[in-house]
Amino acid sequence: MAKPPEPIEDVIPSATWVVDAEVMEVLATGPQPPKVDAKPGATSTGQKTASQTVKLKVKRVLHGEKVEELVVEKPEAQYALRAGNHGPFLIDATKTILGRYGPDSYSWERIEKALASKP
Amino acid sequence: MPISINDRRLSTLYSTWERSAQPIGKEQALEILAQVGDSSRWSAAKLATELKKPGMTTEQQIALAAAGMSANEKKDIATILDQGKVPLEPSAKAFLEQVIGRTTPTPPPPPATNGLNVSGSQANGLSGTTRAGASIEAINITTAPGGRLHMEDTLVVGKADASGKFSMAQLTGDQAMREGDLVRMRARYADGTTSDWVTVKASGIEAKDTRNAVVALFRIGMADAGGGKVSVENINASRQVSEPGAKLQFTNNRTGEKTQVTVTDLGGFPEGFKLNGKSGDSFSIAASDGVNNTAFTQAVGNVTVPGGSPSTTDLIPDPALHHDELDSAGKPKFSKVNFTGPLFVDGGKAEDVQQGQIGDCYFPAAMAAIAKHNPDAIANLIKDNGDGTYTVTFKQKDWATGRFKDVPVKVDGDLYARSYGGALYGRSANSSDPKKMELWFPLVEKAYAQWKGSYDTIGAGGHVSDVFEDCLGADASSFSINHSSPDKIWAQVTKNVDAKKPIGAGTYGEDQEAKYTNTGVYANHAYSVMGYETVGAEKFVILRNPWGESEPAGNGPNDGIFKLKLEDFTKLYQSLYFQD
Repeated sequence: MAKPPEPIEDVIPSATWVVDAEVMEVLATGPQPPKVDAKPGATSTGQKTASQTVKLKVKRVLHGEKVEELVVEKPEAQYALRAGNHGPFLIDATKTILGRYGPDSYSWERIEKALASKP
Repeated sequence: MPISINDRRLSTLYSTWERSAQPIGKEQALEILAQVGDSSRWSAAKLATELKKPGMTTEQQIALAAAGMSANEKKDIATILDQGKVPLEPSAKAFLEQVIGRTTPTPPPPPATNGLNVSGSQANGLSGTTRAGASIEAINITTAPGGRLHMEDTLVVGKADASGKFSMAQLTGDQAMREGDLVRMRARYADGTTSDWVTVKASGIEAKDTRNAVVALFRIGMADAGGGKVSVENINASRQVSEPGAKLQFTNNRTGEKTQVTVTDLGGFPEGFKLNGKSGDSFSIAASDGVNNTAFTQAVGNVTVPGGSPSTTDLIPDPALHHDELDSAGKPKFSKVNFTGPLFVDGGKAEDVQQGQIGDCYFPAAMAAIAKHNPDAIANLIKDNGDGTYTVTFKQKDWATGRFKDVPVKVDGDLYARSYGGALYGRSANSSDPKKMELWFPLVEKAYAQWKGSYDTIGAGGHVSDVFEDCLGADASSFSINHSSPDKIWAQVTKNVDAKKPIGAGTYGEDQEAKYTNTGVYANHAYSVMGYETVGAEKFVILRNPWGESEPAGNGPNDGIFKLKLEDFTKLYQSLYFQD
């Protein structure tokens, strides 16, 4: 929807894992969400992409139990993943990727700062 | 001077009514008949009893009285009708006219309309006749005040056939007709001309008219006019406060005084409309469409006159939250905070603008582009009224004349805020403190939401070029980048930047989101074009993310400003928006 990512203060409490990871494979793709009716050339239309199930190869765990691989769910959102995409993934207890834009939601610097102040 | 009535008893009776100042109704008309119709056979008292017997028709009553009525007594009735000071109810007047044999004047035919006649009930939609092949346009002006519609923002609801007839034309969605709604219609002919407007009160749809007049409280502006008076105006005169003919009752919550006003044909207030009151007074407003809430027992809300002693009430009603910020019961998840920082810290700059948690990227992208290329336009857009309110003057194009007209929108400093601080929607980069944050951008965005209807209305996507027109009063355009040559794109960018005219760009949305992941550029998003650069033969477009951060790596501080090679720009961006 081209909204900014949610404030990290709202997201970090729900993060069971914070990992530096790469998408190895897209295992499944959900149904396409309904098409938003918008004027050609309009932005912020709120169009969402299909959910995806992806396998992540974890390079580094910043927060949470140590893992080498994770199969996680990318919810219907305004971004999509493909093999090779990488970055910081915030993942909740249901193994769903947090952050409105997945690995492009927050910089490492901001995540580390938020983790440091996490109770 | 008393009127001259020959019949003594009738004269005495009439004098009684003159003193009581009560109007003459059908009951009193029968008393008159009894006095003038008495005879040797019927005393006045007996005749009165007979005339009032249940089941007597008007014709029987007249026949009974006529038998004993002299020519002079007929004259007495004519005198009461023509010279009497006691008002006559229409039914009584018609009855007495009939008694003396005067024919009731035929009501004048409705004014002829230029080519559109609506007939029948609206049980199955709108039906009628006009010229063959004409399109039928309509707007529900009972529901329109709740949205952002002008009275001319009609929808095409049907088409006349070869014989000029149309039927079952329907308004849908928010404008779906209900019993008693006012529907404004016209026919548009093949040559582009239109018929006169025709307004229809919908009937035959439901057993009862239950929908009352809708009132756009957020368009009611009040100001202390001095001398104990408060002026009342429609803040956005191009749109309705309520339906024409509706009655609004203002109750001064301090004094209890009630004042009623009838909404004009254009959906606003009569010119010069004033109430008794002063700064700080709050008025409770109730509405009636003549059928519902006629006793004004149900208020639609309060409006406060700005100024006066500090108050915890709203100076001006605020636009409603986006639906994402409402809980399951429809209640706001965020409360409002009064921001009192400076309107400008050091002028309006692109870097001030930060998009909030609302899907209106096209708006901050456009505002930052205007601030970058034409900062004077920002300074002229908003002014501080010095009483806790601000007036933002947008521009609206009149498509008939091609000219833009001013649309002033008044707002106060209240903004929706997070519990831990900072504005929820548009904010400024300098501070999140309500006492320090630079206010021009969040308040212009708030006024835009007010003008367009709500934050929900502006938070569902849009066009950068529309905002250029709405703020600058100058034509703006857009074109599709993938249908244009790199030379044409470069020419447009350099032309606008050199001419200090704002320009923006938008990325692809549907089905192309995956190509943006990890690029630092976001899908379905609007950006401001800040400038251009050439390094040797290489051409670069300089852009700004309206979030005020998040950009491709290698572009210095994370402030949202970055440059892209022209060839990358043409791959990642779909649309270019620019002031002509």
